[in-house]
Amino acid sequence: MAFTARAENVSPLAALKNVLQDALAVARVGRRTMHYLIRGKREPGSVARQMFAIGNQSLFFMCITMAFIGAIITFQTGLQSKKLVPDFSMIGATYLKLLIRDLAASVGALPLATRVGAGIAAEIGSMVVTEQVDALRMCAADPVDYLVVPRFIASVIMGTVILIIGGFVAYGSGMLVAQLMFDVSPHTFTNLSLVTMGDLVLGVSKAVTYGGAIALVSGQRGLATFGGSEGVGWATTEAVVGSCFAIIVLNLVISTIGYFFVPAL
Amino acid sequence: MPIRFVNIHKAFGPKVVLQGVDLEVADGECFFIIGASGVGKSVLIKHLIGLLRPDEGDIFLGEEEVSRLDERALYPVRMKCAMVFQSSTLFDSMTCAENVALPLRKHRGMSMKEAIDDARRRLEKVHMQDFADAYPAALGDGMRKRVAIARALTLDPEYVLFDEPTTSLDPVSARRTDELIRRLCDEFGVTSIVVSHDLVSIFSIADRIAMLYKGTVRLLGTPEEFRNTEDPIVQQFIQGRAEGPMEV
Repeated sequence: MAFTARAENVSPLAALKNVLQDALAVARVGRRTMHYLIRGKREPGSVARQMFAIGNQSLFFMCITMAFIGAIITFQTGLQSKKLVPDFSMIGATYLKLLIRDLAASVGALPLATRVGAGIAAEIGSMVVTEQVDALRMCAADPVDYLVVPRFIASVIMGTVILIIGGFVAYGSGMLVAQLMFDVSPHTFTNLSLVTMGDLVLGVSKAVTYGGAIALVSGQRGLATFGGSEGVGWATTEAVVGSCFAIIVLNLVISTIGYFFVPAL
Repeated sequence: MPIRFVNIHKAFGPKVVLQGVDLEVADGECFFIIGASGVGKSVLIKHLIGLLRPDEGDIFLGEEEVSRLDERALYPVRMKCAMVFQSSTLFDSMTCAENVALPLRKHRGMSMKEAIDDARRRLEKVHMQDFADAYPAALGDGMRKRVAIARALTLDPEYVLFDEPTTSLDPVSARRTDELIRRLCDEFGVTSIVVSHDLVSIFSIADRIAMLYKGTVRLLGTPEEFRNTEDPIVQQFIQGRAEGPMEV
């Protein structure tokens, strides 16, 4: 991945070329993932195992992280609002719209990428350096079908679920801070008047896309691992950096599309 | 069908590993590839089954050129040509029986039950039937290696590539592995290519030996020819001397 220190002392043009090559490599893995998603045959229990690893084992970390993020955002928003329009009646409504439309998915996906992306890349990378992936290929099992597809399915499903749960937690912690710091009652804070169906569709679309992107980027980095245990370390770092970058780029793309098709009122 | 490596070149970035390797392995032969660590022995045999692609050169399995086949076209080649990897490479999430059953399910399309039943029978041949339901993490190196050999032989291959099969084995297990490799050649006509540093194995079961040095074949011959050669580099290697002209 061109953003990590392994690419230092590279000219900006070469770095850009590396980024494009990495994106193409991820796209190739994505194409094969879609192929096997339709035509492949899952190993019994493989998706469930990954859903447990990605979902259950990330839930506590994500809830804590999103609780802090929700509390900080509400506190800072309240402080700024106090200076401009000292009226907190709509703070809950605007916060909820922002959370559903963008923050729950886009901010939540970044810590999720560190937890899930690192895990996927480290596991697949270790299999590459210990020749287990070569052994898979000898057994006529395509590593993308066997390793990436179950993680992709699990990451899309559980990533979305976790980001939605994280959104609820962030909203709850925001509500608590609003009451304790700005005397906004939960009744006032719970205001759905600004939320539209379009916002929900946009938010869920982002969560689904980020879940898939994390699995694809991390799976590709894992499969591209070389150089023993140091290589696994690099692959893990690159997976986290690449996943975060992909989330930010995808956020820009989906938000731009949303701006035209699901305008924020 | 013989195996032919013709003018194989391979580099990994700036590191040049193979610089024009030419070899021919006859049908049913027990062929050893020896050489210092990092000289490209494992790299060379991985080319035969498409796990690596040569930068230059051709590889023939019989009359078929295999180095440029795509992944799916390589499946028939990999059914005929099995490999026992250096580090056993059993899948940690599967039991021993499931590991051995995987090629049967994927290559032959067997159901899980049929494949597991067959795998149990194959584990008996390497005396691992009592560990069929154990996970690889619970086994020692030697036992894992035996399961890996059972998995490699599952599809009754015509060619078997062994990558340092006796490394990390105790002397008794190592000699048993040698016997198994020799028996595959003598009784079943399997062509074996063995990458090894184990001098006892090399001089007890090899039909012919090729020594790789600096990316090319330094000497190709029978064990007797290796013993009698005056090449100081070959002599240093087979005598295991620290001092000598060999650059590592």
